[in-house]
Amino acid sequence: MTEQKYKFLSTPRRPVEDRRFVAGRGKFIADFDRPNMLHVAPLASHYAAAAINGIDASAALAMPGVVDVITGAELAAAVQPLMNGLNTPNVRRFPLAVDRVRYAGEWVCAVVAESRALAEDALEKIIVDATPQPFILDAETALLDTSAPVHPEHGSNLLLDRKFVWGPVDDDFDAAAYSLSFSVTWGRNSTVPIETFGVLAEWNGWDQMLDIWASIQMPKYADQIARSLDLPGNAIRVHYDVDVGGSYGVKRGIKHSVLVGYIARKLGCPVRLIEDRLENMRAGDAHGPERKFDITIAFDQDGTVRSMKMRALDNAGAYAGRAPFQLGKPISAIVGPYQINSVAYHALSVTTNKTVQEAVRGFGQAPTNYAIETAMDRVAEYLGMDRLALRQKNLIRKDQFPYLIPSGSYYDSGDYHAVIDKVLTAADYPAMLAERDRLRDAGMMAGIGIAACLEPSGGNSSFEPLLNQSNQTSTWMESCQVNIDALGMVTARIHTTSSGQGHETLVSTILGEVMQIDPELIRITRPNSLESLPGNSPVGSRMAIMLGGAAARAGEKLKAKIMAIAVHRLGVAIDQLRYEGGDVLANDGRRFTWDEMVELAHRQYHNLPDGMDPGLASFDIMQVPTGDALPVDHKVQMYPCYSFEFHLLLVSFDPIIGRPDIHSYVIGHDCGTVINPAIVSGMTYGGIAHGIGAALFEEFAYDTNGQLLTQSFLDYLMPSSHEVPAIQIVKHCTPSPHTVFGQKGSGESGYLGAPAAVSGAINDAVSGLGIHFEKLPIRMSTISDAIAAKTS
Amino acid sequence: MNIELNGSEQINASPANLWESVIDPAVLQRAIPGCISMTETGEGQYQMALELKVAAVGGSFEGAVSLSEMNPPHSCVITVSGSGTLGTGGGNATVAITEGDDGNALISYQAQGEVSGLVAGVGQRILMGVAKHLARQFFAALKKEFAAA
Repeated sequence: MTEQKYKFLSTPRRPVEDRRFVAGRGKFIADFDRPNMLHVAPLASHYAAAAINGIDASAALAMPGVVDVITGAELAAAVQPLMNGLNTPNVRRFPLAVDRVRYAGEWVCAVVAESRALAEDALEKIIVDATPQPFILDAETALLDTSAPVHPEHGSNLLLDRKFVWGPVDDDFDAAAYSLSFSVTWGRNSTVPIETFGVLAEWNGWDQMLDIWASIQMPKYADQIARSLDLPGNAIRVHYDVDVGGSYGVKRGIKHSVLVGYIARKLGCPVRLIEDRLENMRAGDAHGPERKFDITIAFDQDGTVRSMKMRALDNAGAYAGRAPFQLGKPISAIVGPYQINSVAYHALSVTTNKTVQEAVRGFGQAPTNYAIETAMDRVAEYLGMDRLALRQKNLIRKDQFPYLIPSGSYYDSGDYHAVIDKVLTAADYPAMLAERDRLRDAGMMAGIGIAACLEPSGGNSSFEPLLNQSNQTSTWMESCQVNIDALGMVTARIHTTSSGQGHETLVSTILGEVMQIDPELIRITRPNSLESLPGNSPVGSRMAIMLGGAAARAGEKLKAKIMAIAVHRLGVAIDQLRYEGGDVLANDGRRFTWDEMVELAHRQYHNLPDGMDPGLASFDIMQVPTGDALPVDHKVQMYPCYSFEFHLLLVSFDPIIGRPDIHSYVIGHDCGTVINPAIVSGMTYGGIAHGIGAALFEEFAYDTNGQLLTQSFLDYLMPSSHEVPAIQIVKHCTPSPHTVFGQKGSGESGYLGAPAAVSGAINDAVSGLGIHFEKLPIRMSTISDAIAAKTS
Repeated sequence: MNIELNGSEQINASPANLWESVIDPAVLQRAIPGCISMTETGEGQYQMALELKVAAVGGSFEGAVSLSEMNPPHSCVITVSGSGTLGTGGGNATVAITEGDDGNALISYQAQGEVSGLVAGVGQRILMGVAKHLARQFFAALKKEFAAA
């Protein structure tokens, strides 16, 4: 339907970036070398908590090739603490531990040497005099008055404690026929990109300039470095033309960057730090949410879900950072795709002696979707109702959009029932049910997983003012510049790094569509931060909406200028002209060509309309659609667009072995108008694989001493091609009314619903035994042990 | 991370001879894998330096060893604690020496330890294998002491 409307959009085009990546010619942080570059290796704490009494680095400093050893005490005296999202000034975080360590693996000091190998050798010679101290690993324990705070100056372990009541929760509970309560826990996992974080800094004292190359995906990265190093903002130059080898939220090495920035400035040499795998896993400060949900849900005999009370307790790890905001994004879709009239939400974030948390794909939405979908399954089970029918009964209907949810956001558009119908047809649902029953008859455990959920996208970070009232953020802009050169070629600039989202493809496709020029002919550059207009990096599934929007608007501005030149040149009214493939055609048959127009704009000022500036350049800084206001009454419009996904899968396992085998997996996906089908499908396939990992394998597991056990890919298990089935994507398009082409976000697709769906399938398989698996990941051993306990 | 290691080995020596060897720092230094130095600092007290490589992780380790509950030549408890680049660790082993029918010594041990830091992240499956491998190396070297004698 919409597919036919566009020349380049939504057509199967090879992503621009693929050429260099497939040929192995991407340029990643390890490919950047500078003359006389020094290397850094951090010394990791052996203890989960300890007082640092002293550090003796004399033997290390005496080694050939060792240049310096930086301690936390030195750094704390020279740089500002790293930024906190919340008002927690006494939860101070520096790149290196100051006076005490707060988690096993935390960096105690850093060796600077002529090679990374020499730096690592020197680590062995450093003697740290440390006194182990009590530590806390569990979030509920951290809340107790008897638990010592991880940051004594802060006074407790509470980083965030906010209660929201949206709508008549008590009335709805009173009126409901039933209520039920349960708890589920989302295990600590992350995206663990193959390329670890790396950063290179170089200080030029004559220019007073700190150049930064980094494998980064972070909003306001240059600003944060400038603040921490007490440098003017225009003394930091972040180079955006570094390819990022995977991120999905976690590439935010601000502590690494401030550390190497400080060292580069102190020593006057280029300095690079690239994490090894162990550093990345335990001290990259990039673990995802670890969240316990306590849910009570009110519903009627006919399956109508009236209200929900949700307590979400997140284990943020040893420092605050931006992680607690991951309890905020889910407020924007707190009822999922369902008509739930009221919600009480209690959001808690606590410090513990675990690795620091960072943003991970979906920014907290996937755990919340898992909790909501588990609630739907539990209600169906309680009522003896079909899980699918229960969902279909409660889903928001097509005719109800825009739909206002209790927490203040309008969902823009959707047709959830139509997507589900398509999936049921594509999957041959009756045959899937029959296959499940056949497997059961054959002695296997078999179950079907169902999940329906939303992907809020393109928002303006409204969870910041909602959770931190001193924060007045009401924009999360993005920008694009476009120039047509004197030879008539189009170049666009984007103002951020890319970590696999395909921004060059996005912008060239959209500009091509707007300007009616072959996208292959459009050049996209990624300049440095000082040559950039403001932007907020690719987070929150925003770039199709925001960067795509800014590119389209910048293109429209250029087209307007071209039309104005044509009006002047041809001497006819604008309604007598039409733009066509770069040329302007008049109704009388005259054609003002692209080449003539370029010649005029670049060389013939005398032939331009009076007062018009020469040249053909434009830029656009775009405000978030619908994101105009600060919260009122603890409600706010958070995201302009809501993509929908519906997952359906069949799983089976042997009751003794308990190793899940996913037979078939179908996802229905509606992210509005698709810009590049290959990129959206790639996001979705990868998101489901990641979700299978979160559901069955991946966890940062700690032992009772606070040591991270899953520090390498030997123990941190990820799904491989053996575990990820063939996935069928069923597409649907409900355009968003708020974006230039009706596009919505898709950067988190798949991951947002797959964990819920896989968990639902495993639970369906064991439903006959009265077993509920209430924690992710559901490991093979957990399954087989639970079945053995029930059947022996 | 906790590690447990149990086993027994037949050594071609009398219990008394074996006992003398395992409290001799020179023998221990030769037999303990990666041991660079072993210095007696008091009655049943030793200072030890190791260079070890565990899977992908290599490093040096300095520690104290003490022997207690000595019941020559039948049993003792060995306690080890130390730290190094690989992490920190500690543990103890109960060692019993009995005489077999052929007059040779049978040494059996029950050890439990706890390690933290980098070494804990090497992975339990690998670490257990490494621990067993190191124990085998130790006893192989010890047997060689008596084969040579």
